[in-house]
Amino acid sequence: MKKRLGNLFKIIAFLLVLAISVLAVTTLVRRKDSNYKYADFFDQAKAGHIDVLFMGSSHVINAINPVTLYEDYGYTSYNMGGHGSVMQATYWELIEALQYCTPKVVVVDAYMLEKNYQYLDVMEENADKSERNTSVEQLHLNMDAWPLDRLKIAAINDLIQDQETRNEFLFDFIVYHSRWSELTSEDYKTVLGTETTNPLMGGEMRYQVELSPTSFPDPAEGEILSEHTVGQEYLMKIIDECQRDGIQVVVTYMPCCATTTDKIAANSAAEIAANYGVPYINMLNMGIIDYRSDLNDTGHLNATGAIKVTDYMGQWLTDNADLADHRGDVSYSDWADKVALFNDELKDMATSGDDLYTRLNQLSLNKVSYVIYFNQGSNALKDDDLMHLVENLAGTTAVRDASAAENAPYILIKDLSNGVYEAYGENGLDGVATGLGHVVYQPVEQNFRFLYPTEDESLNYLYDDDHLGYDIQLITYDSESGQIFSHDYFRSFGGTYRVD
Amino acid sequence: MQFTSFEFLIFLPIVVAVNFIIPRKFKYIWLFITSLCFFATVDAKSTAVLIGVILITYFLGRAIEGAKDNPGKKKYLLMLSMVLTVGFLLYVRFVEFLASRMKDVTPDAPPSVLFFSTVGISFYMLKAISYLVDIYREDLVAEKNFVKYALYISFFPQITSGPIERAKNLLPQFAYPVSVDFDRLRDGLLQILWGYFLKLVLADRMGIFVKEIFDGGYLQPGTITFIGTLFYTFEIYCDFGGYSHMAIGIARILGIDSMSNFDSPYLAQSIPEFWRRWHISLSSFLKDYVYIPLGGNRKGKGRKYLNILIVFAISGIWHGAGLTFIIWGLLHGVYQVVGYILKPVRDKLVDIFKVNRNAFSHQALRTIITFLLVNFAWVFFRAFSVERAMGIIAKSFEFTPWVLTDGTLFSYGLNEANMLLIVAGLALLVIVDVLNYKGVVVREKILSQGIWLRWAIVIAAILVILVCGIWGPGYDASSFIYEQF
Repeated sequence: MKKRLGNLFKIIAFLLVLAISVLAVTTLVRRKDSNYKYADFFDQAKAGHIDVLFMGSSHVINAINPVTLYEDYGYTSYNMGGHGSVMQATYWELIEALQYCTPKVVVVDAYMLEKNYQYLDVMEENADKSERNTSVEQLHLNMDAWPLDRLKIAAINDLIQDQETRNEFLFDFIVYHSRWSELTSEDYKTVLGTETTNPLMGGEMRYQVELSPTSFPDPAEGEILSEHTVGQEYLMKIIDECQRDGIQVVVTYMPCCATTTDKIAANSAAEIAANYGVPYINMLNMGIIDYRSDLNDTGHLNATGAIKVTDYMGQWLTDNADLADHRGDVSYSDWADKVALFNDELKDMATSGDDLYTRLNQLSLNKVSYVIYFNQGSNALKDDDLMHLVENLAGTTAVRDASAAENAPYILIKDLSNGVYEAYGENGLDGVATGLGHVVYQPVEQNFRFLYPTEDESLNYLYDDDHLGYDIQLITYDSESGQIFSHDYFRSFGGTYRVD
Repeated sequence: MQFTSFEFLIFLPIVVAVNFIIPRKFKYIWLFITSLCFFATVDAKSTAVLIGVILITYFLGRAIEGAKDNPGKKKYLLMLSMVLTVGFLLYVRFVEFLASRMKDVTPDAPPSVLFFSTVGISFYMLKAISYLVDIYREDLVAEKNFVKYALYISFFPQITSGPIERAKNLLPQFAYPVSVDFDRLRDGLLQILWGYFLKLVLADRMGIFVKEIFDGGYLQPGTITFIGTLFYTFEIYCDFGGYSHMAIGIARILGIDSMSNFDSPYLAQSIPEFWRRWHISLSSFLKDYVYIPLGGNRKGKGRKYLNILIVFAISGIWHGAGLTFIIWGLLHGVYQVVGYILKPVRDKLVDIFKVNRNAFSHQALRTIITFLLVNFAWVFFRAFSVERAMGIIAKSFEFTPWVLTDGTLFSYGLNEANMLLIVAGLALLVIVDVLNYKGVVVREKILSQGIWLRWAIVIAAILVILVCGIWGPGYDASSFIYEQF
């Protein structure tokens, strides 16, 4: 009997050690994207630091930056948007989130309201295998971080039809064990609890500039979806849930190059919001963003667009919700740290990178002072998209005038402490005040010009023997110290710009 | 349900737990019920055939024993038994052969034209045949208890892929099963783990590469093809050997000792030795029930050689109805016949060059040559046609070593990490087999270690199988190579 008890004890102890080992390995091989996105949510929710939840698809992920909202308004929020999240996925995301926090406001975006299928692994009849795989894969990003409990089982049962696929969500080791051959240091850090998390409280910033924003015909005035869709059903459920919990809810439609169907769906969202008596903000035609500079692609905003939309929402919340400004509160110091980190990132994006459109667009955020110079005859002066970005920076149409004047040389200096200076053609600048000193700009010939501070006339910022073939220069600097952060040369090849 | 399915991982502990607490004299009933359930989940349609075979051979066995005082009737009954059992097996093979030919002509043709399914029939029918012949030879008393006989045929660890156990070994164990103590449980579980490692970590991983080489649209560069043939040689060993280890380990934790099926086969120094170490339960069946009844080596050299060729042709047909399987079997027969014919010449050469037969170098050379001959024959076993096999063999002789360093090696479904894992796994396999060859049972060595090392080894093994095993989405749990035979 004693021996049997001893053996039983050994078996139990062995199974315990084995379970711990399997748990550690499961954590190690699990794909980290979902944890990366939501790790801070759990921490902030636990601390009671979430006043607003932004729900929706990738349109929300890229349109709302909680760090900007905190920096500019002091409101604390979390961006719960999920890549490819249709309304039913957003609904379950919200239900999961409400287990951990009770926000004062929920902002839910109605993109994909027209989708009329229940199961993400089935989708519409004409969906091909790769679309279904992508749909399931994206749901993993949304769901993996939530612990296995009855709610998660209910969510998966509601979102996924195939039992084997359901099992892959409930026990994701089934899917991720094969990641063993691609583990990185981040995977091991997760086991040790030192992993990197999303620095933007769930938001993600993109930095490209969509040069060909498309537009689609408008539907008939007030046209709404012809059938009651699964998407509409779940939007109603979301509103129901929030109202039942006493949470203020706002329905939005984030700006994008909306198709005609999107515009109809946006109208339908308005109708649902009206029926429930909740505010609705259709941002498609509100002029919040500049479609020529604030889109990363036709569907998603870039960082400048996100900051504009976030600031709009901040103002709306100020006007319509009773939220506290947490800036200066020491218990929110991690938010201030994230603000600093984000500003560093914006500064990096403005001072480095090979994509000229991105660089110019980032300069519009005024994180650094800069000099932009186009040679006489530069193709940049024939590039309408590029000139539009320069117009945004200068606030004038002088660059167009330079273009009209047979591609005359053009210079723009924007000094954050002193002002904006522009010149083109034979015109120069004579000792204008900047962080670099009182600078003189003097065009001489196509490939030679002066830009020097009167304090040190031996300098010439705009000439370098090694870069004679380059027709565009971009200098960024600190307006206080005069420190030059970057000096990049671009040459135009047709519609593209290269640094090599 | 297969050994590598999730359902089985739930099924097995339940079977073992109930078997542990059930009174000894009723264990066989529980094992029969669970065996039928297991088989029904493997392929419900095959269950009727299985039950039919059990019923017919049970009564034939009783009848043969009942006629033991009447040699003529006994012989007649044996002939009837063989016609029914072997005939049915040949019929199944023939129909499958026709179906495969039809498939070649009409790709949309169904995989089989049989109106019934016959999963595992090649294995359990041989068990039935050996049972009937043993009764005829009066080496065995016919089992009166129908359930015990039915369990002998359908015992779930062995039903789909063997080992092809003998009734003399199994039936007494069903009557008097041993108690499963803690040591037996640990030993059995360790053997099951080794089986899972061979199957999920090595066999199925190498199978990815092998599939590209053997089934791809084009023949691949020479050295790649040669590596593909080597991988297949190890894949089939790890697959079938892995299954056998699982089957034997599972039987062990149910209180039943099965016969061994593999004994370091690739360390054999000759083809006859290889067959004493590879699929032992089939080899011994063919020796006891085909080769010896044909006269074995008792009727002169010529007849001996003919008997060898017949036995290996039968072995080929048993594995499959296609020409490739028959060539594979005959190749092994020819290897042995040529080996016997050339033995005087080989002995002379050994004398002339004063070769020390016990030297490691000589033994290693014999092992390598045997391995390469076996490897060569496996190409026919795996290839989908004789022409493809010939093409692969021809390609294997092309020397393109740069594929090992220019990245080509990693473009056949396995990246560097996976290749490294295969190399490490095969190194472990070779070490275990060498130790086994020398009479060292690695499981016993592990179990004799202190608790922390023992646990560390077992937990590491489980984690490697879980993490590095080929399973999950897209994995076909019913993909044991030998289950198709």
